[in-house]
Amino acid sequence: MDALYLLIPLSLLFILGIGAAFWWAIFSGQFDESDAAAKSILQDDELPARAAPQHRPPAAQAGEGAAGSVDD
Amino acid sequence: MRPFSIFSIPGRFSDGQRRERRHMLARLGLAWLGMMQVMMFAFPGYLRGTPMSAQDRSFLDDAIVMMNWISLALTLPVVLYCAWPVWRGAMARIRRAHVSMDVPVALGILAAFIPSAHAAWMGRGEVYFDSVTMFVAFLLTARYLELCARQAVGQGGLHRYIGHYRDALSARADRAAIGFTVVQLAVAIAVGLAWYFHAPERAVGVTVAMLVISCPCAMAMAVPTAIAAAHAGAEAAGGMPENQLYRLMQATGRASRQNLYGAMAWHLLMMPLAAAGWVQPWLAAVTMLLSSLAVAANSWRLFKGQARRGARTPTLGAMAGGGVLMLKGQPHWPAQGRQARRGPH
Repeated sequence: MDALYLLIPLSLLFILGIGAAFWWAIFSGQFDESDAAAKSILQDDELPARAAPQHRPPAAQAGEGAAGSVDD
Repeated sequence: MRPFSIFSIPGRFSDGQRRERRHMLARLGLAWLGMMQVMMFAFPGYLRGTPMSAQDRSFLDDAIVMMNWISLALTLPVVLYCAWPVWRGAMARIRRAHVSMDVPVALGILAAFIPSAHAAWMGRGEVYFDSVTMFVAFLLTARYLELCARQAVGQGGLHRYIGHYRDALSARADRAAIGFTVVQLAVAIAVGLAWYFHAPERAVGVTVAMLVISCPCAMAMAVPTAIAAAHAGAEAAGGMPENQLYRLMQATGRASRQNLYGAMAWHLLMMPLAAAGWVQPWLAAVTMLLSSLAVAANSWRLFKGQARRGARTPTLGAMAGGGVLMLKGQPHWPAQGRQARRGPH
């Protein structure tokens, strides 16, 4: 019985952590457009980035197009 | 067909739509998380009836008191945060002296939560925290599906015909659902009172089960999901000529009616069983979820039938649903013709 008084509050703390992590994941956009990351590698740099338009130097577009799109 | 997740939020959404979907998803996920925990902590309570030694009995009683407090701590955020749309909706409706689907839900939650909190506080009596959290989680599941359906339609702009048709259908369905719900609420309260005088210790359980059953989640989903399915089907097929659109509308109306009458049949079947005291509140919540999922599945069937219209449909042929049979009978437009007709929208 005594062990329960330790273990159950501990499990409650775990739940709290899981709930907080879930909340964070939703509101930081982890659930937004979940297939976009997989597609981004196939997209050309000419297409405007959908999530956040970033400033990109013109030289990078011609030379390192593929590498740049993976970073997005 | 490309894989599709209802939990992934499409990138095309406006900020308002995204915010709404995120909040709903957070409420849904946290309600399920809370529900699973509370179900686990509710388990010792179900062992009460089993024969055991006096020492085991006193140990079990101590454990139950502790579990009840923990269940209360877990249920409180589910009731206050996850069920917030219910409170908001119910308050807004009550102020305007209307009954909507939020009112029976709010009553159901309160009727189960307040006696349970009282029992936990006193350290004796039945608690229904597991039923409360299940009810909220399942209700939010139905609402989330409904929200997905509504937002999927809102995104692409509804076809003019589908829009008109939706307005007519949902007005009729709302009237039917509200009348049905008011009657059910009255019956639930009357039966609860009858049990209170006949066997007071069971009155709360029976009333909670009946209020859970009177929640019109499945009826509220009947039209929005069918419309969303028709809309998605029409989009998947590209444009379609008028006569074909007319048939699609007929199939949509049929699917909506199937949804609505099916949900009503579930209510009519479950109410007497619950009134007789044969349905536990948790069982009522489970069957409520099943009826909502059945409605969603029926609408999904409409979409599938539409999307693969003209293709071989051996599995759908076995189903008795009029909507699909209707769609099966339609002529198959060659791909080229379909492209040519795409123009107007």
